[in-house]
Amino acid sequence: MLRINNCRISTENGSIDLPDIALDSGELLVLTGPSGMGKSTFLHWLLGDTIKHAKISGNISLNDVSLNSLKIEQRRIGLLMQDVHLFPHLNVVDNICFALPHGIQGGNGKDLNKAQRRETALAMLNKIDMAYVAGHYPEQLSGGERSRVGLVRALANQPQALLMDEPFAALDPLTCEQVSEWAFGELQQQGVPSIMVSHDINNIPAKAQHLDLAKYYRRL
Amino acid sequence: MMWLTFKSPKLISSALLSKRLMSLGCLLLLAISPIALRAQEVIKPDLAQLENSEQWQQTLSQAQGETVYFYAWGGSKPVNDYLRWAATEIASRYKVRLRHVKVADISEAVSRLKAEDGSKSAIDLLWINGENFSYLKEQQLLLGELWSHIPNSAMLATQQLSLVNDFGVAIDGFEVPWGVGQFNLMADAKVFQQNTLTPSSLLAAAKQYPERITYPRPPEFHGTTFLKQLLVALSHNDQRLFVAATTQAQAELLPLLWNYLDQLHPLTWQQGKAFPSSNTEQLALLQQQQLLMAVSFNPNQLLKEQSEKGLPASAVRVYFAQGAITNSHNLAIPKGAQSPAGAKVVINFLLSELAQKHKLQGSWGDPAVITPLLDEASTLPAQQELHSSWQQVIEDKWQQKYGA
Amino acid sequence: MATKIRRLSLTAGWLIVTLVAGLPVFGVVVGLWPSVSISWQDLMVFLAYNGLIVSIANTLLLSLAAPLLAFYVAFIVYSQYRFNPRWQVLEKRLAPLLSLPQLAVALGLVYLFSSGGMLWSALWGVFGHSAPDWLGLPRKSLLTMVLAISLKEVPFFLLILSALGRQLAIKDWLLQGRALGYSEGASWWLLIFPIMLKQSRLALLAAMAYTLSVLDVSLLVGPNIPELYAVVLYNWQTGFSALDQSQAFIGNVVLLAMLGVLIAGIYLHEYLAVRRLGIYAVMANPLKITKLSRLFTMWLGFFSLLSLAILIAFLLWSLGWTNNSAGNTINWSFALWQDEWYFMQGPLLNSINIAFFSSVLGLGLCILALELQQQSQRYLPDYVWLLAILLPQLSMVYGWQVTHSRLSASYNSAWIVLSHLPFTFAYSYLVMRGPFQSLNRHYELVAASFAYTYWQRWWKIRFMLLRPALLSALAIAFSVSIAQYIPTLMLGAGRVTTITTEAVAIASGNQQSITAVYMLVQAVLPFIAFLVASMLAQRMRGSFNAAYQ
Repeated sequence: MLRINNCRISTENGSIDLPDIALDSGELLVLTGPSGMGKSTFLHWLLGDTIKHAKISGNISLNDVSLNSLKIEQRRIGLLMQDVHLFPHLNVVDNICFALPHGIQGGNGKDLNKAQRRETALAMLNKIDMAYVAGHYPEQLSGGERSRVGLVRALANQPQALLMDEPFAALDPLTCEQVSEWAFGELQQQGVPSIMVSHDINNIPAKAQHLDLAKYYRRL
Repeated sequence: MMWLTFKSPKLISSALLSKRLMSLGCLLLLAISPIALRAQEVIKPDLAQLENSEQWQQTLSQAQGETVYFYAWGGSKPVNDYLRWAATEIASRYKVRLRHVKVADISEAVSRLKAEDGSKSAIDLLWINGENFSYLKEQQLLLGELWSHIPNSAMLATQQLSLVNDFGVAIDGFEVPWGVGQFNLMADAKVFQQNTLTPSSLLAAAKQYPERITYPRPPEFHGTTFLKQLLVALSHNDQRLFVAATTQAQAELLPLLWNYLDQLHPLTWQQGKAFPSSNTEQLALLQQQQLLMAVSFNPNQLLKEQSEKGLPASAVRVYFAQGAITNSHNLAIPKGAQSPAGAKVVINFLLSELAQKHKLQGSWGDPAVITPLLDEASTLPAQQELHSSWQQVIEDKWQQKYGA
Repeated sequence: MATKIRRLSLTAGWLIVTLVAGLPVFGVVVGLWPSVSISWQDLMVFLAYNGLIVSIANTLLLSLAAPLLAFYVAFIVYSQYRFNPRWQVLEKRLAPLLSLPQLAVALGLVYLFSSGGMLWSALWGVFGHSAPDWLGLPRKSLLTMVLAISLKEVPFFLLILSALGRQLAIKDWLLQGRALGYSEGASWWLLIFPIMLKQSRLALLAAMAYTLSVLDVSLLVGPNIPELYAVVLYNWQTGFSALDQSQAFIGNVVLLAMLGVLIAGIYLHEYLAVRRLGIYAVMANPLKITKLSRLFTMWLGFFSLLSLAILIAFLLWSLGWTNNSAGNTINWSFALWQDEWYFMQGPLLNSINIAFFSSVLGLGLCILALELQQQSQRYLPDYVWLLAILLPQLSMVYGWQVTHSRLSASYNSAWIVLSHLPFTFAYSYLVMRGPFQSLNRHYELVAASFAYTYWQRWWKIRFMLLRPALLSALAIAFSVSIAQYIPTLMLGAGRVTTITTEAVAIASGNQQSITAVYMLVQAVLPFIAFLVASMLAQRMRGSFNAAYQ
């Protein structure tokens, strides 16, 4: 359960008092609103990144643990950006291995070794029929492939929640539809509460909650 | 051993001697007693007459307006200052511009002459001796007959100083002596009891003050000279050192040196695992009180350093009891020089009483090479230079034994 | 018609670039051509040189270790400072740190920190004792040499990394890494290091080639039983006897082989490091050890202090302080400065002139080389462009000198500028290649869609985006030209003296006071160049300013 309470975003020009947010496992919240209102900044704040150009206050808790004082790497919140940022020096499998938690254990209770971790990553790719890109490097992938590998990587990390910043905006409409449908299904299945920033008001998945920041915006 | 204790009023002028006589003269000078030399005396030509000669007047007028590029080591402030002084004097007297081209190592000039291969040269004058001279002379890249064309060379103290040979190679008029080097040590007062040293007193000092004594790493020529001095002393001045190094002589004499160094090295600076790269670095180490002694080829360097506060007033000068190995450092003109007349005028000025006196008494303190200024009181007893073949032998064998 | 002109200008461009890049090879071929015939006997003599193997091994070890050490330190420092408010301070201070001549750093290090050095003497002096001998850096050893070289290379690599960093989405990668649960330190090593290491190949190679053949520092602090290889080679090269010359020829060939070993070393190290980090990435190793890198936040303070101490020591020497003078007996005087200032002005102006033209031309040619390769989509191996840095300088310049005197050419600044060009070109290429190639082409595509012509786009987009890198390259090229001794002396023939020809000659005398004066003045020119470059660069936005978002 991801909760965000008493959240207030103040920028130079105005402020937003968000209603309290509560997301159960597998639930998706879509944030929309005009540019410059602080959608992405809000995501970065949730992630734990230092933010400029705005002030944000509020309490974030995940499964009743407060996140506010934790560093990014301790929050266990995943991030998927429009530019997926697959690491160029690692191939697809190793990119996913990178995200697999340290000391992940196999059936026998022992830490996985290198080969087993790669097998695990490959299995994840296999599940979505993408094993054929396993040995490819990021620059060899198409946009759709990249987005999908990005999500696989994010989920491989076993995040407690996932933040997405217009993750599929760069894809063509057809691919975008396919990939996002697959992605939301995947998230639901894995039970990860997620927040997605989007500019596309017309294309919000049916089951998702929707928050339009413009409604809460007050100009100074 | 040859002591420079006589002074002759007469001069030998090479102008009147053939090259063959010159080399004969040098052999005699090296080996024969002063009395024998007196028999060789030649009537001194009048200096004024030489200066008024048509040839020299022609040189002077040719030289007017010329610029002389003088390639010389630029690492010494006293030398640089001296050349600046000389440049102003020469400009006002002879309308010749003297430009000191400072080099870090004179081999850079030799390399240039090699590249030019006798054609038009950028160098008009250079300050050399030893191996570099020997190479240039052998390659015929130097202008000859300098002594006979430069009036003031008549004043050269050829009888009192060994000025006809340069590290065993006959000068033959291809270079003109400019100054004299005498190998000595500048040391902390407490190290040596006397003003001369022997291999055993050096070893005793090294035992008393471990890691405070050393010498520049051969093939740096101060370092090699240090070894030569030791070898002369250890072999009790064996005469075979002054002729070409035969295999047998090497086999008999060199072990004396190596046995000695085997004892000395563990007591030297860094236990002989490192040596200063040059005499100047050794001096810097002495100044920083890392060492108790440094080597020098300038017998007046100690006094100059003391007056400049580079070394404490208590420091002393010592030299090897057999005498200090004595060398000249010289001026030469390349064959392809663009301003040979100007260069001769510069040499002539640098040999003049005025210039030699300024060199001796100024901050440089380099001994004079002309008779009117010879100062016996401050001249060290001289030790004859070893035959040039020994240099390579000592350097190579040292590298074989201690170089790694 | 238009295509004809275009083809013609392309050909001309290739021709010019080939000429400049080819000068080093030409020089080496002419200069190294053996003047004596080489026999088996000579080779045997060469191989029998006592300590040859140790000397070569030491030199290789030094040339590999010092630049790599410097690179690692620079990377850690960069990672600690990059997203820290003090980055701006560091960028500003890089200028003075970069401009101290290498010899000055070595001298300072020895005089301050060696046994009996000023620092220990001063510390123990307080208690009226003399410092124990075992304390401090050994005067002449491989360790001191490694320290002296790597200390000085750190700012150089920082400059290179800073130029590289402007082209990479470092901030996003780090964010992604941290979102996946890695610490920032681990993310730097696992994500950024492999890329930066690859892109720094040329800089590493340049630093290694420099270390391989550096002479003055080797003489001062290098071990000499046996000597480092550069010193051994120099002794042969300046020996001039037939035997020495044949040894010098073989020695130079061996030097080239050693360079080959270093190149292989760079690739091997890169392969091993990237593979090791790749395994850590696959195993999701948290790299807890990277916490230690926080220590390096002290680097700037430490290095600034060190540089300051060196500067102050030099200043004191130049004003009459010596090791013998007790506190109250020093005759402080500006006499040395007054004496020398009159003679320094000409050389200073010459230095500025030559460095200005050779750095601007060198950078221009470097851009031309990059542009031509980009247009033809054919990238020549980097080593081709860096030959001036890689080939043995003494032989190379000797070859130029031979040609110069065969041509009976005059001695003037133009020839010196030409002789500096290969070096300024190579160093510019070293700095510019990464930024130029990794520039996002989309910007120009956008401009093209606005109907800008090729050259308009080139000027208004590419050039403008490259400005920070161009400034770094210009400053480095400028200081490289300032530092040239051998080409300036050999082609200028003393007609054109620069502050460096004076300083190097004077430093050969080991007289503290006057050496200090010249080193300080010599450091001023690059200092100004780096300072101006860093001030301007801070006002400009590079092609990737993710850092400033």
